[in-house]
Amino acid sequence: MSDIVRLEELWKIYRLATTTVPALRSVSLTIRQGEYITIMGKSGSGKSTMLNILGCLDRPTHGKYFIGGQDVSALTDNELSDVRNNKIGFVFQSFNLVQQLTILENIEVPLFYQGMPRSSRRERSRHMAELVGLGDRASHRPRELSGGQQQRVAIARALANDPLIILADEPTGNLDSSTTQDILDLFDELHAGGKTIIIVTHEKDVAAHTERIIVLADGLVKSDARNESAGTRL
Amino acid sequence: MKAIHKVDDIVRLGMHSLWVHAMRSALTALGIIIAVCSVIVMMAINEGTGKEAQRALRALGSDNIIIDSVKPPNTGDASSSSHTALNYGLTNIDVARMRGCIPGIIRCSVTHRTQQYAHLGTVNLPVSLIATEPVFEQIARVKLTTGRFISHSDVLRRKPHCVITQELARKLFIFHDPLNKTIRIGNEPFVVVGVLREMPLALGGQGDSAGNVVIVPYEVDIRRFGEYTITQSTGSRSFERVEVSQFILQMADEQAVLDGADIARALLIREHEQQDYRVTVPRELIEQKKRQQRLWNIMFLSIASISLVVGGIGIMNIMLASVTERTREIGIRRALGAKRRDIVVQFLVEAVTLTTAGGILGIGIGVLLPQLLEHINSEIKTEVVPALLLLPLSMAVGVGLIAGLYPAFRAARLDPITALRHE
Repeated sequence: MSDIVRLEELWKIYRLATTTVPALRSVSLTIRQGEYITIMGKSGSGKSTMLNILGCLDRPTHGKYFIGGQDVSALTDNELSDVRNNKIGFVFQSFNLVQQLTILENIEVPLFYQGMPRSSRRERSRHMAELVGLGDRASHRPRELSGGQQQRVAIARALANDPLIILADEPTGNLDSSTTQDILDLFDELHAGGKTIIIVTHEKDVAAHTERIIVLADGLVKSDARNESAGTRL
Repeated sequence: MKAIHKVDDIVRLGMHSLWVHAMRSALTALGIIIAVCSVIVMMAINEGTGKEAQRALRALGSDNIIIDSVKPPNTGDASSSSHTALNYGLTNIDVARMRGCIPGIIRCSVTHRTQQYAHLGTVNLPVSLIATEPVFEQIARVKLTTGRFISHSDVLRRKPHCVITQELARKLFIFHDPLNKTIRIGNEPFVVVGVLREMPLALGGQGDSAGNVVIVPYEVDIRRFGEYTITQSTGSRSFERVEVSQFILQMADEQAVLDGADIARALLIREHEQQDYRVTVPRELIEQKKRQQRLWNIMFLSIASISLVVGGIGIMNIMLASVTERTREIGIRRALGAKRRDIVVQFLVEAVTLTTAGGILGIGIGVLLPQLLEHINSEIKTEVVPALLLLPLSMAVGVGLIAGLYPAFRAARLDPITALRHE
């Protein structure tokens, strides 16, 4: 399978008033199509920085980042927006749905910025809502849904633009244990369907679902190992 | 193609978020509504009164030149030696010169005005006796309720015929038909041949203050009453001698009016030491009136732009609050692929939609309000000029653009990472 993400000696250095703080120190790694990965680490390990760079919300200070073969480490703000729009699907800890929009309209947001016509957008978002089992809630507002349901909407939104990678930031952090299980099962299903999924978390239970666990510490990759137990749980 | 339906979508999006905060949007737009409405009402009143004034001037005859004799200002009490006659105004020689020198005259007539008494039975009323020529009817567009104006045959046969105002007819004849009745003016009998509907504006009539006026043929008047106006003041009698009270010319075309007025002024200034005449050119006055009106419009627009600026500040304020409130949403949109440009457009469209809606509403009210004003007070004349509606509307749109610009750029400048974490 092809490399879908490749980091080459990636540095991220934050310049504060008096000092400079390296958040990532020459990180190199490769993620292939269809992989199911957890990135773990304590707070301050560089985990969030890693997520922002992988999500093209931020640019590395040095080094190269290829996504789907495209070097995105030195793109302009506009170009990064396009990359996020077409190649990345975000799932956040706090769901991050737009409260004023309905479920369908929320799922449509990435398609909207792709410039897809309204009718095809509507069709696709309805399909996505059904995929995550919320077809009957399509015209509800986010606040009318439970946390688990909201996260399903967020996942549907992340899938809508058919991205190269799904980037989930503590996707179960705001959920109770049974809904956590639901959401993880949904990720497992997506993985089985061939999606490339990267979950950033500090929860071992979540990590246990994935096939590869990357642990960051002090801006370095501390360990990068296959998780042999993952397959058995599916 | 892609851009076009994106714009359509963004407009929908803008309307959507305005609708969510309907109350706030309405209050914010109120400033714009009031500003647009007030400018339309002010312009409508200006236009209406302007039109009214122009109409009045046209009634004087836009192809006419009117030259009146006026009592010179500095001769008031100086003639305390009581029995000297005061000589002023236009003379027959002036009139002859003007007739000879001014090209393009279609018709012209002289008028001589004196004060007399009219008697009928026991009724005795002071009247203005106006002696003029039959053509005056055409020049001053005289309108009659009954009968006819004095005619050429009256002049030729020296007939003592007269035309009286409606007011005088009512006073003298009460309910009886005044036609073919004889009244006495001074000691001379005159037969009433017609009744004026209203006083010709050229003679200083204002419709309501028509007063007691008798119009007689010029030749008859000169023969019987002479050229003196006797004014009785408290102690003594003073005499005024005016040969021609008014000379009115109807000209062939616009150019003839303007040239004729210049020639008349030049002739009179040479012959008269004092300013004892007045040249009135309705056409010039109309032009002047129009200029004046344009000036007022500019002033109204300046006042309105101040209120639009105030409204704009309100819009900017609310948009800034909205940007802060929706920081999270901006972060989400940016993360999901919105460019800075998309965010700018989203907030700009919202601001412009708000002011445009306010502008349209303001126009709606601004069109209805003048009618209401006219209904309440019939002296107020208004006219809404459709073309002038576009001006305040485009100003409202412009205010939306300007007021939305800073908040929109502020929204777009937000860092998506921080915006996403915003509570």
